[in-house]
Amino acid sequence: MQKTWRSATLAAYTLAILAFLYLPLLILTLYSFNDSRINAVWTGFTLKWYASLMTNDRVLEALTNSLIVASITTVVSTVMGTFAALALHRYQYRCRTFLNSLLYLPILIPEIVMGLSLLILFSQTGVPLGKPTLIIAHITFCLSFVIITVGARLEGSRDDLEEAAGDLYATPWQAFRYITLPMILPGIIAGALMAFTLSIDDFVISFFVAGPDSTTLPLYIYAMVKRGISPQINALSTCMMTVTVSLVVISQLLQMKSYHASRKD
Amino acid sequence: MKKLRSLFTLSLSLFLLFAAGCGGSKDAKKEEAKVLNIFSWADNFNPQVLKDFEKKYNCKVNYDVFANNEELLAKLQAGGSQYDVIQPSDYMVTTMTKLGLLEKLDKSKMPNTANIMDKLQHTTFDPNGEYSVVYTWGMTGIVYNTKYIKTAPTSWNDLWNPEYKGRVILLNDSREVFGMALKKHGHSNNSTDPAQIQEAFDDLKTLAPNVLAYDTDSIKQKFIAEEAWIGTMWSGDAYFTHKDNPDIAFVIPKEGTTVWADTFAIPKGAKHKELAEQFINYLYDPEVSVKNYEYIGYNDPNTKAASLHAKSFIEDPMLKTAVDQIDRGEWLTDIGDAITLYDKDWTELKTIK
Amino acid sequence: MKRGKLLVVPAMGWLSLFFALPLLIVVVVSFASRTAYGQVVFNWTLANYIRFFEPLYMTIFATTIVTALGTTLLTFAMGYPVAYTIAMILPKKWQQAGIILVMIPFWINFLIRSFAWVIILRSQGVVNTILLHLGLIQKPLTLLYNDAAVLLGMVYALLPFMVLPIYVSLEQMDKRLLEAASDLGAPPVTAFRRITLPLTMPGVAAGSILVFISSLGMFVVPDIMGGAKSALIGNIIQNQFLAARDWPFGSALSIILALLALVMILLYYKALQAQKGGQAHAKNLA
Repeated sequence: MQKTWRSATLAAYTLAILAFLYLPLLILTLYSFNDSRINAVWTGFTLKWYASLMTNDRVLEALTNSLIVASITTVVSTVMGTFAALALHRYQYRCRTFLNSLLYLPILIPEIVMGLSLLILFSQTGVPLGKPTLIIAHITFCLSFVIITVGARLEGSRDDLEEAAGDLYATPWQAFRYITLPMILPGIIAGALMAFTLSIDDFVISFFVAGPDSTTLPLYIYAMVKRGISPQINALSTCMMTVTVSLVVISQLLQMKSYHASRKD
Repeated sequence: MKKLRSLFTLSLSLFLLFAAGCGGSKDAKKEEAKVLNIFSWADNFNPQVLKDFEKKYNCKVNYDVFANNEELLAKLQAGGSQYDVIQPSDYMVTTMTKLGLLEKLDKSKMPNTANIMDKLQHTTFDPNGEYSVVYTWGMTGIVYNTKYIKTAPTSWNDLWNPEYKGRVILLNDSREVFGMALKKHGHSNNSTDPAQIQEAFDDLKTLAPNVLAYDTDSIKQKFIAEEAWIGTMWSGDAYFTHKDNPDIAFVIPKEGTTVWADTFAIPKGAKHKELAEQFINYLYDPEVSVKNYEYIGYNDPNTKAASLHAKSFIEDPMLKTAVDQIDRGEWLTDIGDAITLYDKDWTELKTIK
Repeated sequence: MKRGKLLVVPAMGWLSLFFALPLLIVVVVSFASRTAYGQVVFNWTLANYIRFFEPLYMTIFATTIVTALGTTLLTFAMGYPVAYTIAMILPKKWQQAGIILVMIPFWINFLIRSFAWVIILRSQGVVNTILLHLGLIQKPLTLLYNDAAVLLGMVYALLPFMVLPIYVSLEQMDKRLLEAASDLGAPPVTAFRRITLPLTMPGVAAGSILVFISSLGMFVVPDIMGGAKSALIGNIIQNQFLAARDWPFGSALSIILALLALVMILLYYKALQAQKGGQAHAKNLA
């Protein structure tokens, strides 16, 4: 009895925090239907921002660029980061302090400094700015976040299972595939989520390493600020949010269905 | 678990495909056309005007954006000019000229630039008009809400009125804020004299209790929503604000103020210089500029366009104030090392509670 | 088996090439000075580092640390229960959806979410309108453009960095330990304090570090939510690059900030290790 009471309190608290997270999104959904060109006060209902969004090539192009960069960044930094976290967890390195500094410093250095230093690196080596440089920069700042998150998962996990697998003549790959990977999968997913989140919303670093024709959504939005961010962006955000939330819900429902179906068999 | 993941991957790739489809089809068509790379502020052109230009000159316009002059400078200094047309503001033109980053303009290839009003042809930031042409311009003045402020302000000193405690908004820009205080004391807004800067700083400290916020970007919203009663604002923004809140008024204080401009310039080594010149020339065509400026809502510097504009645009009180009082304005120029003085005082001003 | 040691190479090689190498440039620049037009001249001076010790910058630095600590504590207080609910109370098959739902708001541009907070909190905003209607207040409260608003903005921006690592370490915890504790008559609070919390310390540590560090460099939140009235070190650095054009001083500030944060992290881990050692010792005694 006491247990359900406790769970209920926690659930209520969590819901309150979720409300806190979604409250601003509610406001911008509301303002995506606002007639005014500027997000200041409510002047009337309209759907025109959604209509004009559909014909705004520049916004859609920026969204495409953002999604491409974020997807590639997420995959590459998650794979590299997971391997590094595994190795760092398992082995002793003589240059440990150096490796740790290399791991933490990218988070510590202000973004603008990282962006500028990468700009100088690329321009000195003659690499033309564009999507590739953008992706390189994004992977650089996402790696540490992935390694730290996966590392948190490995800390205190059981190492003996993989050893046991080894004793049973499993190859290192088999041991990794069937023992370690499933064990740390939640950590990897969390790391990937973090990388995606960081990449999709990065502005400062992106600005310095982007070239012609590689404007991402945040770059576009920040540049709009001086004139006032167009409500089209609210409309776009509302669409993005609706799509992602419904994807999560639908896949969850499908999963439940297949779960029940498999139970019947 | 597996299902969830594959579903997620599937939907993501579908999403990507869809998005790539939107972006891709357009590029393929114009593969052979010439390309013009513009680096500018966001929303700085009527998109229709860009499309017309693409059609007329059979080219593709790449329009990339920056949010700050210094970002533009950093990108340009890093080298490898990938842009053909850039839009630095006034003082940045001086800086870039001094650093040798700009191409001299050949105005004979841009006859329409002669349409620009005289007062904007010769400016202190580019005395002979060799490196830049003014595109948008305006003045910094006092914006106020007539609902809360019954007597129209006439002087910068009115911002100091203790009745406006917590109702004043200043531009979040050290040169603008110090320029205002320097003007109030009868100095130049480009002063490099430490004593004058100190005088302005001491005065600004006494203004701090009145200040609700420093804001450049979302200042319009703060006045439309009536969070603030009075403050400093650019004339172009006042035009926008007035549209959404008719109680807003705008004056140029008697002590004088800052006049600013965003310009067109061509960076050294631009790869499509000829197309860049054609583009600049095109934008000062009277009919094009009517279409363009009424969309972006800034003062049109084109004298030949005046008779073609809608009456409501020409006579808009916000835009007209700037035109009538342009002689009270002083351009900002690059002040060299003195900027570190401003910056330090500016930082300290922000720590006053 | 030693071959596995090489798994660290791709990531660390990447970071050496694209992070450490360019960072060396920044270190060099921090010992340079600026010309009248903001170009960097190399003359090996310590002036930029000495300038940091002026009271003005020390005060700002102290404020920044306090704000960052406050943000870390608040995100912990808000994030831990959320992670706990998702990992321990939600049925297994709902967990992934739960954690993604927490993340989705952060895929929407941060700037426009911040402007949405302004709409909520401003004097004619949502909160004030509701309170006025209910008659709870007579005139609008000042909810924006102060330190509390900055703190709120930071917590809002950084919450997922706390929730994710904690969730990850809670999820892997052996729940039988809690059953055992309960069987042995330990009240739930004690079980949480003695078992759950210590076992999830790696997650808490990772989360706190990510939040603490990220909040040190923040500059958008103080500008939008704080009305640009409360300068934090992130704003000062930003100003050096985007207004004063003093790259050397900006670089020096960045390096000082990074080094101090690094020292704090190392101390934090030392303290954590010592605590762990203490617990192991206690276990041995029992």
